[in-house]
Amino acid sequence: MIQLTELDKFIESRFQRVFLLKGIHLTINEGEFLTLMGPSGAGKSTLLNILGLLDEDYQGTYSFLGKDIRAMKAKERSNLHKSEFGYIFQAYHLIDELTVYENIETPLLYRNVSSSDRKSIIAELLDRFKMVAKKDLFPAQLSGGQQQLVGIARAVAGKPRVLLADEPTGNLHSAQAKEIMEVFQELHREGTTIIQATHARENADYGTRLIQLIDGRIDSDEQIA
Amino acid sequence: MWKNYFKISLRNLQKRKLYAGINLLGLTLAITSFLAIGLFIHHEWSYDRMYTGSDRIYRINQEFTMGGESQLASTSPSALMPTLLEEFPEVETGTLVFDLSIFSSVMIDAGTGNSEENKFAYVDERFFEVFDFRLLAGQPGRILSEPNQIVLTENTANRYFGSAQNAEGKILKVEGKDYLITGVMENFPSNSHLDFDFLASFKTHRHGREPAWSPSNYYSYVKLKEGADIADFQAKLPAMIEKYLGADMREYGFSFAFFPQPVTAIHLGNQSLNSIKPGTDIQYLYIFAVVALLLVVIGVINYVNLATAEATERHKEVGLRKVMGAERFQLFGQFVAESMVLTAAAVGLSLVGIYLLSEPLTGLVGFKISLDPLLSLPGWMGILLFVILIGLLAGIYPSLILSGMRPIQALGNKVKIGSGAWVRKGLVVIQFFFSIGLLIATLLVKDQLEYMQEVNLGYTKERLISINFHYNLIPKAEAIQQELVRTGSAETIALAANMPVHVKAKYSIFPGGDNDREVMVTGYAGDHHLLKTAGLELISGQDFSETDMMRNQQADTVSGYPILLNETSVKELGWSVEDAVGKKVNFGGGTAWVKGVVKNFYFNSLHHQVGPMVIFLNPDETNVMLIRIPAGDPSAHLASLGEAWKTLVPDRPFNYQFVDQAYAQQYRSEEKVGILFGVFSGLAIFIALMGLFGLVSYVALRRTREIGIRKVLGATQTDVVGVLAADFFKLLFLAALLAIAVSWWFIRSWLQGFAHQTAVEIYPFLTAILLVLLLSVLTIFYRSWKVYTLNPSKTLKND
Repeated sequence: MIQLTELDKFIESRFQRVFLLKGIHLTINEGEFLTLMGPSGAGKSTLLNILGLLDEDYQGTYSFLGKDIRAMKAKERSNLHKSEFGYIFQAYHLIDELTVYENIETPLLYRNVSSSDRKSIIAELLDRFKMVAKKDLFPAQLSGGQQQLVGIARAVAGKPRVLLADEPTGNLHSAQAKEIMEVFQELHREGTTIIQATHARENADYGTRLIQLIDGRIDSDEQIA
Repeated sequence: MWKNYFKISLRNLQKRKLYAGINLLGLTLAITSFLAIGLFIHHEWSYDRMYTGSDRIYRINQEFTMGGESQLASTSPSALMPTLLEEFPEVETGTLVFDLSIFSSVMIDAGTGNSEENKFAYVDERFFEVFDFRLLAGQPGRILSEPNQIVLTENTANRYFGSAQNAEGKILKVEGKDYLITGVMENFPSNSHLDFDFLASFKTHRHGREPAWSPSNYYSYVKLKEGADIADFQAKLPAMIEKYLGADMREYGFSFAFFPQPVTAIHLGNQSLNSIKPGTDIQYLYIFAVVALLLVVIGVINYVNLATAEATERHKEVGLRKVMGAERFQLFGQFVAESMVLTAAAVGLSLVGIYLLSEPLTGLVGFKISLDPLLSLPGWMGILLFVILIGLLAGIYPSLILSGMRPIQALGNKVKIGSGAWVRKGLVVIQFFFSIGLLIATLLVKDQLEYMQEVNLGYTKERLISINFHYNLIPKAEAIQQELVRTGSAETIALAANMPVHVKAKYSIFPGGDNDREVMVTGYAGDHHLLKTAGLELISGQDFSETDMMRNQQADTVSGYPILLNETSVKELGWSVEDAVGKKVNFGGGTAWVKGVVKNFYFNSLHHQVGPMVIFLNPDETNVMLIRIPAGDPSAHLASLGEAWKTLVPDRPFNYQFVDQAYAQQYRSEEKVGILFGVFSGLAIFIALMGLFGLVSYVALRRTREIGIRKVLGATQTDVVGVLAADFFKLLFLAALLAIAVSWWFIRSWLQGFAHQTAVEIYPFLTAILLVLLLSVLTIFYRSWKVYTLNPSKTLKND
């Protein structure tokens, strides 16, 4: 589904180029649950941003379902971004001014989903993540684990094919982290492609493939269980 | 989607209370001023448009030329209207209005004793055909068609009889004569140039029964037929003048011309023309319109500045929304919606504000500001359009900045709104340019107003009162004068044609004693106490004496009667102050000799130079009694004068006016402008300072870390304030330079309207700039102090 060829990303400083990613070759198939690991600064987040179409400043080619992203029109790319990707962040990044319900609703609004459909989708998600009672609360009133559940609900609300998660459990303690990973596993079983970046080796065990990044290069690439 | 936008806007405003508060208050103040000024201008603009076919109604003004000098007047002879009605087929109808108040007040008695009334006019029976005011009682065709009929306004009817129905058919005594009340009309609206309490039938008046071509004391209004051309009508007037006045004009060497003026142009038109109600100089409407716009711009700039500055705080939200698939135009919509919500709230508050302010403002603007023009369908559409326009104006730039952020940047903490900085700086310069400029203008206008109050007028306006003096009382004048002086509450008393504040009667003087050379002068009639009472200074010759008074009455034609000249007269007649005394002249149709010369005094508003004047003895022209009261508490003297007056003149109330107040009255419109300028420049500065406060807060916030580091390195509070203030001072300096230039230009052109101008001094400029600077320093100081007191260990932890 995803094909990266000779992908470089660098920043020009005054005297030299600093490569954040160098010579990345990567193919990701639909239905994989892939974990990116590596020390800080290895390029995990950079790679996730490029995969998620949030960063278009790179060299090399990125094709999605056989189409070169670069060759697409802005509108096409934007539609792809909306329909195929969901994002989960380490710091949850919920909108503080919106309730749980409204946070989950936001991506649907931008997808022009009708009001009644929105209601049923959100009801289903709230039910699934056991947050019905909390739907009118604001993010500040929730625990970190609960906020991240809302973040996941929001990410999957638009039924994306690919879920991108950058250190989704980085701010959580182990029990909450376990809960989140179990949710990922379940989504994966339902057919969602998941790409996560993490520091924690135990999180990788929920997935099907593990890639180690060091200094912007792929150091190892292995299938798990 | 929009529902969602509005919900988010409201929550955002709730959350950022300081930011929302500054913006809301700033916009509300600006919009309140804007709407109030707008309503005022609308009111002034709407004058005399309420009559049916008001675009076909004209007042006939008259130009009278004699001896090379011409005078434009708004009144015309009583024979004009009947002639126009008879000989001009294009005239549909017309009416004549004789405003008695320019001559004297009227005593009215409804059976409960005399009271003095001023708004009294004689009008002919066609008045309501031209000005179709509503009648609450009476038959339109029947009222005012016979002598001794009178129509009251609703308020007057209520005042005297309790109700309109009660008044109809009753008898009202006017100066002792019976008038039958045949009708009651609605009150004259505040935007009509006509304003009376009593309309009596013109047939009562001698010239109503026998129209004549002299005198020219009557306002004539014609209503042309639909489709008639005013230019054609005007072109036919000279032939009519020739027909009726040609022979007289040639014999006496004068000439007449008539100029129709649209009734709708009276209020804002030529202000030197006499009118029933003081008009408004259109120049001031333009000035106020500009001020209104400036205030709104200052309010909008606040919003733009704060909203862009605030963008840094909202980058996370923007980034997230982009990641979740928001298109740029959707985000743009959200932020514009936010500014519109705020604008709409501000407009709502402004409407409430105006409603609450309309009562206290009535005195200042001269009428009750009504929201009615806004509460109609076009009014609502206008408000909606205004909200959208201001919302867009305020929202468009911040929205572009916010919606244009790249999501990755926005989500990280790397946002620098550097590119917008110069826009914000430019806007701050504009704001302070406007507010400093307004403040300088206010101070300069105030200077001129004070100058006019303090300038040496040549007479003493303090402790001088004036009582309307009816000609019936002239035979008793001597006795009244003596009695009032005897009580000790009056130092001196004089009879005069007018207060010295404004003397207008024009006379001709022929210096050679023959008809060779003619000089137009202002004539001031009075008695031999006038100089002493008014405090006029004699610089050569002698004052009038009691003997002059007596001889005057015996019409001693051989030696002629004595007159006094002012300095300008002497100069225009080509004499010196010393050798003028004793010269013989031909004045007012008789021989006169110059008995003395008085120092120039201002007998007209300071818009004009002191013209030539002749003071002469003629108690028959008396309209006022001038009384100089002793120093000390005036109320005690007034009370004892009132007592004495009541016994001497039982049938006329003791109605007095202070001359210094009458003098100040002349500058009402300037004073109003002064006050309003003060209020608006205060508001402008306040709004701009709030914006500065917000902006400094934002800068301080953004530089918290820098300040933390500086503090760790040993910076004192003054250093920190300096760091923050330096940037703003550069902007204020630039704004001050612009403001000086523009206000200098403004005041030069405004002062052109005054013959006597105060010197433009440096201190208003300095005061304004220093004041704004000081307030800005305080604002910046307060804000940076808050940042300075933060613990560096906290501020340095982030990032």
